[in-house]
Amino acid sequence: MTDEELAKDLGPLAALTIGIGTMIGAGIFVLPGAAVKEAGPLAAGAFVLGGIIAIFTAASASELGTAMPKSGGAYYYINHALGPLFGSVAGWGNWMGLAFASAFYMTGFGQYVVTFLPVPSLSIAGITISGVKLVALAGGALFVFINYVGAKETGKLQNAIVLILLAILAVFTVFGLLNADLAKLRPFVPPDKGISPLLPVTGLVFVSYLGFVQITSVAEEIKDPGKNLPRAVLGSVIIVTAVYALVLVTVLAAVDNSLVAGNETAVVDVARHLIGPVGAGAMLFGGLLATASSANASILASSRINFAMGRDQIVSSELNEIHPRFGTPYRSIGITGGFILLFILLADVGTLANAGSVLHLIIYGLLNVALIVMRVSDPEDYQPDYRVPLYPFTPIIGAITSFALIAFFANTIVLLAVGFVVFAMIWYAVYARGKATKQGILGKYILSRSEQMPDAAVSATTSFQPDGGYRVMVPLANPESEADLIKLAGSVAKARNGTLVGVHIEQVPDQTALESAREEFDFAEADELLEQARIDADKLGVPIETHTVLSHRSFEEVFDAAETYNADLMVMGWGPDSHGAPGRAESAIEEMTHSLSYDVLVLKDRGFDPSRVLVPTAGGPDSDLSASVATVMQEFYDSDVTLLHVADDKQEGEAFLREWAEERDLGDAKLVVETGDVERAIESHAADCSLLFIGATERGLLSRLVRGALVLNVVDDVECSVLLAEQSRQRSLRERLFGSD
Amino acid sequence: MTDEVESLFSRPLLPLANEADAEASCAAAAPRIVAEDGHAYVVHVIEKAGGAPDKASVEQRETVAEDIFSLARGVATEAGIELDTDLRFGTDVGDAILDAAEDIDATAIVFTPRGGRSWWDLFSGDVRDRLVRDSDRPVVVLPAQHADHSETTDGET
Repeated sequence: MTDEELAKDLGPLAALTIGIGTMIGAGIFVLPGAAVKEAGPLAAGAFVLGGIIAIFTAASASELGTAMPKSGGAYYYINHALGPLFGSVAGWGNWMGLAFASAFYMTGFGQYVVTFLPVPSLSIAGITISGVKLVALAGGALFVFINYVGAKETGKLQNAIVLILLAILAVFTVFGLLNADLAKLRPFVPPDKGISPLLPVTGLVFVSYLGFVQITSVAEEIKDPGKNLPRAVLGSVIIVTAVYALVLVTVLAAVDNSLVAGNETAVVDVARHLIGPVGAGAMLFGGLLATASSANASILASSRINFAMGRDQIVSSELNEIHPRFGTPYRSIGITGGFILLFILLADVGTLANAGSVLHLIIYGLLNVALIVMRVSDPEDYQPDYRVPLYPFTPIIGAITSFALIAFFANTIVLLAVGFVVFAMIWYAVYARGKATKQGILGKYILSRSEQMPDAAVSATTSFQPDGGYRVMVPLANPESEADLIKLAGSVAKARNGTLVGVHIEQVPDQTALESAREEFDFAEADELLEQARIDADKLGVPIETHTVLSHRSFEEVFDAAETYNADLMVMGWGPDSHGAPGRAESAIEEMTHSLSYDVLVLKDRGFDPSRVLVPTAGGPDSDLSASVATVMQEFYDSDVTLLHVADDKQEGEAFLREWAEERDLGDAKLVVETGDVERAIESHAADCSLLFIGATERGLLSRLVRGALVLNVVDDVECSVLLAEQSRQRSLRERLFGSD
Repeated sequence: MTDEVESLFSRPLLPLANEADAEASCAAAAPRIVAEDGHAYVVHVIEKAGGAPDKASVEQRETVAEDIFSLARGVATEAGIELDTDLRFGTDVGDAILDAAEDIDATAIVFTPRGGRSWWDLFSGDVRDRLVRDSDRPVVVLPAQHADHSETTDGET
C-alpha cells in the first residue's frame, strides 16, 4: 500500500457510521418525549421535515467535500469561499455548536443512567446540581479524557456501536409494528394547536441532524472521497431520517401518546410495555451507547475544526499543539471539554438542544451560500466529483430553509444566535483580522470585478479583507545568499512588526506531475535551507513562516507566490542561479511585474554589510522605498547613510536634498550634492560605501532585469552590494489587495 | 570474523516520537555515527486508527513530523552526517518501525529512554517493548545526553 492509501483509511462504511453514530443518539433516545409533548404524532412530521432541510445542505456539503477533501469540513469550505469573516462565524459556530450538542448528549446520557442508578443531587453553596447533571458531568469528563489520551480503540468501537444500535432499533420497530394501531395516530395534528408546533419542534429536533457535516470534518482521511464522501453524507441523512420517522410512528401507533409525551426516556418505557424487561434493558443500553457515541464523535470532530481554524489563523495555532506522548490535540480537546462541562452546568436539556441546532443552522445556511459562490466564481481548481442536482435550486432552498428555521426558535435562542454571530465577527475584527492572510473566493471575486460591482459591496469587501500584518516574502534558492537575504528582509519586517515568509520553489520537470513529485522528491536540501532561514529569523527575533512550493516554472512562480502569501514586500537575491532561468513567456513576466501589488527589493549580493549605505536620489516617488529601507538600516544596523543628489545647480540641489531628507526622516544623513554625470558620481561615492541603493527610476526595471535586458553599468562597476528597489505600482488599498483589475 | 560484522552505527535507524525525543536521540547518536562514518536514518510513524477516525488530523501530524525531521536534520548537518528521513503511516507503531528498519537493512534500531513506564502505556501500547521483543536486528538504547533531559520527569523525553 502506498502512504496515500494508508493515510486515507476510512472506508465507505466507516464514513457512514461517523454520520449515523453522531446523529442517531439524540433523535430517538432523548427527544421523542419533548417533541410529542408539543406536537403529538405530528412530531414524526417534524423529524421528517428536519431530514428534508438537512438533505439539501447534505448535497451542498457533499459537493464541497469532494472538491476540497480537507480537514475541518464545513468551516473550511465557508472560510475558503466566503472569507475569514464568515469563516470565523462558521468556525466558532461549529465548535460551540458541537460543544452544546455534546453537553446535550451527555445530559441525555445522564437521564438514562438515573433510570437504573439513583444518583442524589448535590448542593454546593446554595446551588443544587441534579443527579442527571452530575452523571452528565462525569460522562462528559470521561469522554473528554478518552479523547485527550487518544485511545484509538474508541474509533473502531464506533462502527460496532452503530450496528448494534440499528439492530436494537430494528427489533424494537418490528415489535412496534406488531402492536400498531393506526387509530392511535389520530389526530395526527394536535387539534388544540394545529400545525403551529411543527416548525418549533423541527427546530428542537434538528440537533438530531448535525452528524452528517462531521463526516466532512474528517474528509482528508476518507478513501476515494469523490465517491465515498457523498454516499456517506447523503446516505447517513437518509438512513437516519427513515429510522427516526419509522421508530417514532410505530411507537406512537403502538402505545398511548401519554406514555411518550414528556417522558425523558420514553423509548425505554415503550419497550418495556411492548417487549418486557429485556426490551427495556436493550433500549436502555442503546440509549447509553447512542448518547455516548454522539458525544465522543462530536468531541473528536471539534478538534479538527480547531485545527483548521488555527491553520487559517482564526484562532491561535498554539491551541492545536499535539501532545508529545499521546499524539492528540490535547489543548483543543481540553478546552472543548471545559465548554461542554460549563454548558451542562448552565443550561437545561432543551436549551442545549436548541443552541446546538441553531448554531448548526447558521453553518448550514452559510454552507449553501458557499456552494453558490464557488459555482458562480468557478475558480480553476474547483473540480468537485459530485455535483448537487438541480443547481441552483438545491442550495438556494437549503440556504433559505436553514436560515428560516432559525426564526421559529424561542426569542432567547434567536438572541443567542445573533449574539453569537456578532461575537464571532468582533472576534475576527479584533483578534483574527490582523493575523489571517487567507482571502475568500467571494472577496477576490468582488474585488476583481470592482467596476461592475456596486460600490457598497466593494468597499464593504475591502474593509473586511484579512490583513495579516506587514509580510515580507523572501524567495530562497541557494544557501549562500540565504543568510544575507534574511538579515535584510528580517530587519525591515522587524521595523514594521511584520512577519517573514520564506518560500522555496522546487522546480519540477514538466513531464513529472506535481502530485507525484510531492511524494517522490527528496526535499532534504530545501528543508535544510528553510530550517536555516528559521534559525536566522529566530536570531533576529522576527516571526517567520516557511513554505515549499512545487512548480513547473521557477521564476514566474516567485511572483505567484508573492500574491498567494499576500506579500507587502518581496526581498529577492539576484545572481546567475538565483531563481532559475525565466521561462519563455516573457510577456507573462511583463504582465506580472507591470502591476506589482507589493514592493520589491533585489539584492545583488557581494556580502551584506549595511555599515555604510549610499542612497542616490533624483526625487520622485520611486526613491521613497529606498529611503524608507535606509531608515530601517539606520535604526537596525546603525548604518551611516549618505544621500547623493546630482543636480545642474549645486545650490538648488542642496536645498532640494535637505528638504527631501527631512521629509523622509533622514535629516541626520550625510548629504552630498554633485554636478555632472550621474553614473560617474554614483560610482565614485560607491567606492566608500558598503551597500548601494538604486531606486527604480523608470517603470519596468524588474521585468528588464528578469529578461537579462537590463544593462546597468553601475551595478557591475561598483564593488559593494547593490540593492535595487522597485515600489509597488498600486498604492490604494483595493489595488494593493487585488492586482491590476 | 568480527570484520564481517557491520558496526552498529554504520546504518542506524532512529525512531523519533516527538521533538524532545528527536533532540535527545539525535544528539546522543550523532557522535557515535560520526565515529563510524555512518549514515543516519530517522523514521516517524503517524499512527492510524485503521478504518476509524484518527485521534488527530493527518495534516496536523504531518506538520509535527516535519518539525521533528527539521530538528534531526539540524543535528545531522551540524555533525556532518548524511541523514535520510522516512515518514510512515501505520496502525501499529512498532510494526512500522520494524518495517522501516528492514527496508534500509538497518544495522541497529537506536533510541533514548522516554521516561519511566507509565499508566498510559495501557492506552498507547508499549512500542519500546515491541521493538526489543520482535526486532531481528540489534536494538540500542542510548542514555540521553544532556542533564536537562534526564531531569524531565513527565516522561516527555
